Amino acid sequence: MKSPSLKKAKEIKLPSHVLDLTLGKDNQLYAACLDGGIYQVSTVTKLLGKPYEEIARHGNYASGINWSSSQNTLVSASYDGDLKWIDPVAKKESKTIKAHDFWSWQSRISPDGKLVATTTGQYLCGGYKYEPAPETEPSVKVFEVASQKLLHEFPHTPPVQSIAFSNNGKILAAGNLMGEVILWDLEQDGKEIARLKTPDFTGWGIIKGHYYTGGVFALHFAPDDQSLYLAGMGSTTDPAAGNGKQLWQKFTWKDGPKKEGAAADGEIGQGLMETLAFHPGGRFFAMAGRLFKGNWNAALFDHENGSKLHEQNVGFRISASTFTPDGKHLYLGGGVNQGRPSENKKWGRIVIYEIT
Amino acid sequence: MPAPDPAQNCGSPDHNIHRRRFLQGLSAGAISSMSFAGLFGSPAFAEIAKKKQKHCILLWLCGGPSQFETWDPKPNTTVGGPFKSIPTKIPGTHFSELLPKCASIADKLAVVRSMHTKAKEHTEGINLLQRGHAPRPPFTRPTMGSVLAQQLGQLDSKLPNFILLDPCPEGNEFKGFKAGNWAGWLGAEYSPVRVGGEFKIPDANRLDSITEDDHEAREALRKFFGKKYENDRKSSAASSWNATFERVNGLMSCAHLFDLERIPQADRDHYGPGAFGQHALLARTLVEEGAPFVMVANGMPWDTHVFNHEVYQMAVPDLDNIIFQLTKDLEDRGLLDDTLVIAMGEFGRTPWINQARGRDHFPDAWSLAMAGCGVQGGAVVGATDKYGAEVTEDPFNEENLFATIFTALGIDPHAEFKLDGFPTFHHVENKAAPIKQILS
Repeated sequence: MKSPSLKKAKEIKLPSHVLDLTLGKDNQLYAACLDGGIYQVSTVTKLLGKPYEEIARHGNYASGINWSSSQNTLVSASYDGDLKWIDPVAKKESKTIKAHDFWSWQSRISPDGKLVATTTGQYLCGGYKYEPAPETEPSVKVFEVASQKLLHEFPHTPPVQSIAFSNNGKILAAGNLMGEVILWDLEQDGKEIARLKTPDFTGWGIIKGHYYTGGVFALHFAPDDQSLYLAGMGSTTDPAAGNGKQLWQKFTWKDGPKKEGAAADGEIGQGLMETLAFHPGGRFFAMAGRLFKGNWNAALFDHENGSKLHEQNVGFRISASTFTPDGKHLYLGGGVNQGRPSENKKWGRIVIYEIT
Repeated sequence: MPAPDPAQNCGSPDHNIHRRRFLQGLSAGAISSMSFAGLFGSPAFAEIAKKKQKHCILLWLCGGPSQFETWDPKPNTTVGGPFKSIPTKIPGTHFSELLPKCASIADKLAVVRSMHTKAKEHTEGINLLQRGHAPRPPFTRPTMGSVLAQQLGQLDSKLPNFILLDPCPEGNEFKGFKAGNWAGWLGAEYSPVRVGGEFKIPDANRLDSITEDDHEAREALRKFFGKKYENDRKSSAASSWNATFERVNGLMSCAHLFDLERIPQADRDHYGPGAFGQHALLARTLVEEGAPFVMVANGMPWDTHVFNHEVYQMAVPDLDNIIFQLTKDLEDRGLLDDTLVIAMGEFGRTPWINQARGRDHFPDAWSLAMAGCGVQGGAVVGATDKYGAEVTEDPFNEENLFATIFTALGIDPHAEFKLDGFPTFHHVENKAAPIKQILS
């Protein structure tokens, strides 16, 4: 079978770094940005007559944007701790709730669109070697999209930077700075069903300073929900450079946590990987992030054997990714340098790749 | 926990004997003394400054802390980052929300928001802000700690006059600096004694197999031959070795002061569990014992080219608590008036976010904070523009800063170093003025 590759189709500039992307009704693209803005974005097939249009705004970095097809609403999340319900037709927010006292690091919506989960947690010094202190509020929360009602609160060790629903919507997984991932069964009232820890995604800054860096920045269940992918960065020799390995690992959990696969050393460079997306066909997945050293910051990997199928140096840091449902395009969001204020630079970027 | 043996307590009588060299220098030069007094807002305070034993704790925030996430927040701007600002005890003055404890004691802190220096890289910046002047090869200017060790230290003190507490053995560029020449032309006796991490000084106890008399006899013999060799050969290397031996002897008698376990747990809890806080607490106790200068470093955690906001959400609360506790404890012990606490790094960080969502080095406009030792609490000096990109009011450089530190500690900043065969060097060159707004 022919290996997939990426061909650049379009690049769009936004006011600031793109932290999350989602595809709404009729595959309309939305972006959550570092300036707090939630933007509707023109793509190859969906043209607004302008590159983008602001539809809502948070009081701090907008870290998440999610589409609920069953409820016909967007749900955004932010470092202001709020979740906003946004009407995509009226292009304005309909409700806001306070989800956290601290940032929402990441949020995801369940495949049926009925639940939205969000993570939080400030890292405060809890030990001589700067082990994280216990959480001061539940680090993971799940809300019902229709009612905004809080359904679950789950404890974790902050900061919890990543979250994912299984494809059948029954399991929720959340990962933190220390490389700890907890899985809960939502059909069993949120019973914890597995806890795995990998030291490979975190590093204590003995070299430069006493703090932890890295963590699990992205989670994604495999199409059959039998395994879970983690993405992030390996231990750094210089935390200030972010020079750990570009990393993904695959775990199963049913017979106890077990690592089933990982990015091969010879196929990766250095830099933080922030996002994972599975191709709708299920044969391969995309991982992307920041390039410190190496040849690529976005790549396609074979789900079965883990080999790298295609690599791409996008030219800027990637924080978000999504495939179109027809599998023909991959959208990557991120940003370049902000530039001096006097430049008034549009430094957010979305690049659209055609899958060939 | 047994109390320290009073006979070994380095804080007792010796530290009440003021034999600071600067006083010798001042008595020899009336002109110098007059100009020194003129540096203070109040001549009366100048007299007090000269008379009292002074101390300095430098919280060295190596790597270059961000002014936006500390003392000069720019909320609701495109460069402000995700943290809000909060009001402080000084009406109209806001700090980052990461500094709530410092905000509550803002009336005891002096903040300079208008530091403007030229060094853009770490080694260059560390040298500049540790020595107060750009390099002038082949001469090596002593660091602030070495000058203060000479000026404030007791000649016969067992406790080192310059103590560097740093639990991080590496630190990249800082590691290189740590291996360098701290004391410069002052000589090895003013180099720091570096301790950190384990809160114990290893191998500082006399071996049981050697009696006290035997130990002293051997030391007397070593001292005689060492000094004779130094004098006969006029050897600066031998002089450095002899100075080192003296310091080791001193350390053997005060090693217990570096043992954190002697400090009550409740006291330790106040400083938080992290290495930086515990070392700051140790610095406080060493000052209580009479140490004139203690520098607390912690690697280079402030160098946030990547993960700026992620690192600052964990690092600044630690710093907030440390400054708060130090200020409060020193005040409670009646030491704040004689102890200068400084929190600073080698530069600040860029207003704009880089591609890695970090902030890069920025010497153009940055901030620092001080407390104690006659520094005007509640003073907020200088200002930057809307984006923190330029100093708009009262720019100060490293020379102004060093003139301020020396003046607050009762040292004439414009006095000459007494150096045979050297060009003329001053504590601070170019007659740079101290930041008068923060001197009482």
